[in-house]
Amino acid sequence: MHRQRVATTQETEALRQINSFWRQYRKNRAAVIGFFILAGICVIALAAPLITWYPPLRTNVADPFMPPTPSHPFGTDDLGRDLYSTAMYGTRTSLAIGLLAAGISALIGILVGAISGYYGGKADDLLMRTSEVFLVIPTFLLALIIVAMFGATIQNTIFAIAIVSWPRTARLLRAQFLSIKETDFVEAARVVGSRNMDIMFNEILPSAIFPVIVNASLEVATAILTEAGLSFLGVGDPNVPSWGIMLNNAQSYLRTAWWMAAFPGLMLLLTCLSLNLVGDGLNDYFNPRLKER
Amino acid sequence: MTSIARIFARRILQAIPLLFVVITINFVIIHMAPGDPTYTLLGESATPEFVQAMRARFGLDQPLYLQYFYYVSRVIQGDLGFSLLRSQSVSSLILERLPATLILIFTAMAISTSVGIFLGVTASRKPYSASDNIATAAALFGVSTPIFWLGQLFLILFAIYAGLLPTSGMRDLRAQFTGFDLVLDVARHLILPAITLAAFHLGFITRLTRASMLEVLGQDYMTTARSKGLDERAVVYKHGLRNALLPVTTYVGLSMGLLFGGAILTETVFSWPGMGTLLYDSLRLRDYPALLGIFIFISVMVIIADLVVDILYGVLDPRIRSS
Repeated sequence: MHRQRVATTQETEALRQINSFWRQYRKNRAAVIGFFILAGICVIALAAPLITWYPPLRTNVADPFMPPTPSHPFGTDDLGRDLYSTAMYGTRTSLAIGLLAAGISALIGILVGAISGYYGGKADDLLMRTSEVFLVIPTFLLALIIVAMFGATIQNTIFAIAIVSWPRTARLLRAQFLSIKETDFVEAARVVGSRNMDIMFNEILPSAIFPVIVNASLEVATAILTEAGLSFLGVGDPNVPSWGIMLNNAQSYLRTAWWMAAFPGLMLLLTCLSLNLVGDGLNDYFNPRLKER
Repeated sequence: MTSIARIFARRILQAIPLLFVVITINFVIIHMAPGDPTYTLLGESATPEFVQAMRARFGLDQPLYLQYFYYVSRVIQGDLGFSLLRSQSVSSLILERLPATLILIFTAMAISTSVGIFLGVTASRKPYSASDNIATAAALFGVSTPIFWLGQLFLILFAIYAGLLPTSGMRDLRAQFTGFDLVLDVARHLILPAITLAAFHLGFITRLTRASMLEVLGQDYMTTARSKGLDERAVVYKHGLRNALLPVTTYVGLSMGLLFGGAILTETVFSWPGMGTLLYDSLRLRDYPALLGIFIFISVMVIIADLVVDILYGVLDPRIRSS
């Protein structure tokens, strides 16, 4: 009985926070539009089998190069594949790769940034020098080489994108740690004898994480664009529906079938645009100071 | 030693470890990738006898640390390997393609920097006005649009349907242009790829200039300049922009890596005969020595560009020179 009541208070507290978040967030109209586009794209990813009527990637040599019609809203490609189905299923691939790559990259970045900022000294030097390497060298090319050499699978693509993108998160979090670790509440935790791990992840991290969250939405967009770029260059798994591979295929038929390029690219644009808009909205929410200028 | 020479020396010393890291990354990739590294370096078509001979010649039968040593010393001497598929050394393959890529990158950079700074300044003069919103929206589209798709759209619209510009390549191979006609011909071929490559950076530079200008416009010396009765345009461009440009310069310098990445995709769309199409062909042919060579070469170029910008920056900004 008592426990149930606690749960309800927690729920109302959560609702209250969501409400206050939304009240601030909706002030940025573009961010609200971005949110709804992104929600729509997530629905497409989840409901792909329900909203398509041809299996993705199924060839039908009888109907190649069909322009958009009601039965093939995005037209068909050189092998008669229904581009609408493939593009809708491609949403799953892009979102999965984007979220996983950005997620792994964020985990690495948080770990490195926290250790670097908290301990300082030699560890900090070594980690920051390593991250600088990735900020200077052409990372898209490095990801491309990794996937080309290790094999064009989804796992390798996710791994390669994560490997080249963690330094941005690490440096953001490190800067946060540097300023927060000098504050009184961290000092208090140290005085009462909390372990370093506790201080880093339970005391500092919750107040330091906001820029990382804002950055994460941009990182998802970057990861999706990187994956599409790799697939476009032919370094993608051909057995998985992917917008990048569709655009690679379209390249050979730009003269005859503009629709092969138009629709997958439009999906990519909408996805990345919505993620960038949501990132802007989150930024306004966490840094209201910037908005006032 | 003068202060500029000191900056110069210090930055070169900092760049050297970076070069080693790049070479090491390459070495690690070669040895960690599935399959025999000899085949990776020679290509899958190599015969067993040839592989054996090459193993001995390149020291691939030696312990790993010696191999690493050999590898580093070869790369430092400019030997990026040999492409058996094309019977040509990788460095000569790359050097053949380098001019086309540089033309593309520098043109794109010139477009994105000049237009981006102009849009950014315009947007910052009246924040949240219509012109600001348009510039901000354009910037947002710039960073969200896949560059190769933008290229495909331009190609379909302006080259295929409107027929205004050539669809591919760097010059008209049927008409043997020379002299100024050749320059014009290359320029015509360059327009679409350069605008495509510039679009992405345009977005970043616009947003950065706008933010930086907003910061500067609120400073006291701007009020001083205005109270002296200077023309508003002089205030914004001479006093404001000059100070707001520093972060933009840094970004332009640091964006060489991004530009090369973008150039690879752009060249592939427009069959622009630079390193990007070389890379694309090498991917399709599984020409690993060429792939790895291109990676090292572009990394070195980017590191050098970064170095040059940093030194220039030290020369231009007295605050950095003195620190």
